[in-house]
This record gives sequence, C-alpha cells and structure tokens, in this order.
Amino acid sequence: MSAKNKSMMFKNTPAIAIAIMLLSFLGSCKKEVFSPELTREFSIQSTANGANYDIKVGLPANFDPGMEKYATIYVLDGEDNFDFVSNQCKEISDKNAVEKVLVVGIGYGKDRSIDYTPTKISSETGGAPEFLNFIKTQLIPEMEAQFGVDTARSSRVILGHSYGGLFGANVFCVDNELFGNYILLSPSLWFDDLISLQLEKDYREHNKDRSQLVFMGIGAAENLGRMQAPFEAFYQTLRDNYSDIRLTQNREEDLDHMGSKNPNIIKGLNYYFQNR
Amino acid sequence: MSSLKYLLLLSALLVSARGFAQKIPATITDKHTPVVRLLTIEPGIGIHTNFGVDLLLTNLIQWNPYKRLSVASHSSFNVNNITQRNFNHIKTNYNYSINQKFGVGTSLYSKRSTHTFLLMVGARYTSYKETLDSDDFEKTGVAIDALSPDYGLMYSLKRGWKKCFFTFRTYLPLYPWPVKGSNPLYLDGNMNNISLELGIGVKIR
Repeated sequence: MSAKNKSMMFKNTPAIAIAIMLLSFLGSCKKEVFSPELTREFSIQSTANGANYDIKVGLPANFDPGMEKYATIYVLDGEDNFDFVSNQCKEISDKNAVEKVLVVGIGYGKDRSIDYTPTKISSETGGAPEFLNFIKTQLIPEMEAQFGVDTARSSRVILGHSYGGLFGANVFCVDNELFGNYILLSPSLWFDDLISLQLEKDYREHNKDRSQLVFMGIGAAENLGRMQAPFEAFYQTLRDNYSDIRLTQNREEDLDHMGSKNPNIIKGLNYYFQNR
Repeated sequence: MSSLKYLLLLSALLVSARGFAQKIPATITDKHTPVVRLLTIEPGIGIHTNFGVDLLLTNLIQWNPYKRLSVASHSSFNVNNITQRNFNHIKTNYNYSINQKFGVGTSLYSKRSTHTFLLMVGARYTSYKETLDSDDFEKTGVAIDALSPDYGLMYSLKRGWKKCFFTFRTYLPLYPWPVKGSNPLYLDGNMNNISLELGIGVKIR
C-alpha cells in the first residue's frame, strides 16, 4: 500500500468508525415478538367504564389445562410489554424446568393515565377503581373459564411499570386478596401527594399478616427528584410491617425510568419463579 | 421511529458533509483560506434535551495534529434537575454529575466554519440524594453515587474568523449499550440526555 493510500485510510478512519457505530445503533432497534402459535387474543368490554380491552394470552408449550393448573401473570401496558414478558417467562421457566404459567397482556382501554391512577387529580386520572373492577369481575373469571387457570390468590401475579407499578401498589393496598404476587417496576408512588403510601397505611391492618411476594425494581439513574425516596419508603414499610412477605428490591445501575424496565422485568420474573 | 429519523438525518449529514469536504479543499482552502485551528479551548454552557432541567458547564479542548484529524477532551459539570428540588414532599438534597471524555474524529472546513465529528469515550460520576419529608410518613432518604462509562458521538461547530469564535456542540450518548426498541423513550435515556452547548472558543495555536 502506498504512503498516500495509507494516509487517506488514516484520515478516513474516524468517519468510518462513526458510520459503523450508527449502523450498529440502527440494527439494535428491533421489536421483540412472542410466538404467534402460542398466543391467543380476545377482547372484553368493561362493564365498569365501557372501554374495550384487547387481551393477549401467552401459553406455555404443551399447554394442557386438563392436566395442570396454571398460574397467571397479568401484565399492564400489555401492548408494550406482553411479548417481552412472555419470551422471558418461557426462557426462565425452561431454564428452571417449571412451566405452568400463562402471561396475560392487558391492552389499553382508556388512557393508561386514567386506568392506572387511583385518584382524580385531573381529567386524565382517577380510573383505577373501575379498571380494577374490570380485572376482578371480568378478566380473571374469563381466564378461569376459558383457560382453566388456577383460582388461588397465590397463583396470580400482577406486573406493572411506572403508572402500572403505581396501579400494582394500589392493588396491593386496597384489594390484597386478589393477587398474591406483585412485580412493581419504577412505580410512580409520588402520585397525588404520595397517596399510595397513605393507602398502605390505611389498609395495613387488613393486609399485614397475609402471605405475599413483592419484587420492587427501579433504575438508579431515575434522578428526577420524585422516584427514589417514595420507592424506598414503600419498600421499608413493607419490610418492617408485614410478617409473611417475601420481599426484595433491585436498582439497575446506570439505567433510567424506561431503560431499567426490561432488566427489572427479568429480575422480577426470576425472583417470582424462584420464590413462589 | 423518531430515533431512526434522527440517526438517519445525522448519518446523511455526516456523509454529505464528508463528500462535500473531499471535493472542496482545493477551492476553499486555496482561495478563501479557511481558518485551521490547531489547538482551541472552548468553554460553554448547555442543557440536556430533557426539557431543560439540567444545567451544563462544559469545556472542550480540541487539538488538530492534522487538518482532518481531531482529538479532543470534553469536561462537563452538570447540575441536574435544577428546576424541581421539592416535589410532593420529596426533597432533592443535591444532584450533580461530572463527565470527562476523550475523543477522536475528523474536521471539515467551510469558508467561516469548522465542523468536527468526534467519537467520545470517558466516564461519568453521578451523585444525588432524595428525602421524603412529610409529617404523615417516616422521613426516608436515599443517596445514590454511581460511576459509569460514557461514550457517544459529538458534533462541534466553530464559527468565526479570528482568535475568538462562537462554538456550538451537541453530544448523543450511546451508553448504555445496546439500546432496545426504537421508541426514543426506550433508549435508556439517551434521547433525554442529548446535550446542546453554546460557548466561546479561543484559538491557542
């Protein structure tokens, strides 16, 4: 190679490196999809709020309700999270040689900020009681009737992120009989002047001796001045006041509100499978 | 998909600028004699694209050993979340980060401007503390200190003829890697942490 060519190559190296990095970046942007053969879909119109919810159910391979009773993981923000959670469930349950879990992705009926928030502080919030009523009186019975899933509280998991995590925390407080397992990811516990902490306090006497599993996850880079302190306060309250609770928390280093979601889903599912 | 658009735009800009630059040196360089700065110091201030809640105090030192080869050092002290330190009984006691990166890249010249594209690699130290301070609940504080890698792409524009010049920089962080999903909100905060900086530079050599 001539000196001139070498020189040209040297000069172009930074631009080539930048181009390769950009192409790698573009290549990394792909959406995960769960096996269509193992996915069932249907819709239910809520009698509580009139909204129509698209439901996706991820089945394990060799699904046979006649032989087994299946646990259910109810996933909020189902349109975003269903495929990832279903794939992870399959991977983790394969690894641990445990199947018997159905993933139920709950699509959006009303706006998520309405459905997932417990109190009305604006026209865009406060629909959680109706949404919870829909899950309790329509979705869970439908799952039991159509898929023969286990009806025990200890076999139900709720998984939510952000406002979904807030919804999960509120279900823990106000309707603790419904779910025995909670995967709460970056929950928006700051909402409405820490209303979730108040609800926990109000309902503590009813719930504190009940057996439950709670995984709480957050990103260490969630530094917008609202996420960390109530997260820690909720965790410490559960740790100090609940006698029969399997509880853990995880902070994903360097990751923020959205970036920490999937790593925390993986850790939350692992915690559930290992401790249920 | 928005992130893809931004990246495609950036790629197109890079490619076209590169192509343009390869054609023009003979004319621009010879006829108009663009300013080739060998060593510059460029202090500036900036914000992140997270709605402007972070204030950045930054400095770029750039050395061009060859006309088209640039090496740089970028330092930044960020006061994070400056506008909201008390929210719903949640107090932010302190929140800052210190970034130091080094980079290599290429410079392109036009009549009055210099465009530099750099690959930057370095580290970031972040420290913050939040306290839940309400009469209704037990006081709870959380302090987080984290040291993390920091790498990404930087574009620097210098504009002006003389020893002092205006400078604009933008930095797209690519850490944490790999990013997942095409929604900007899923890029582990990268899209929220693009920095936009303005400053005045001084040519040393």
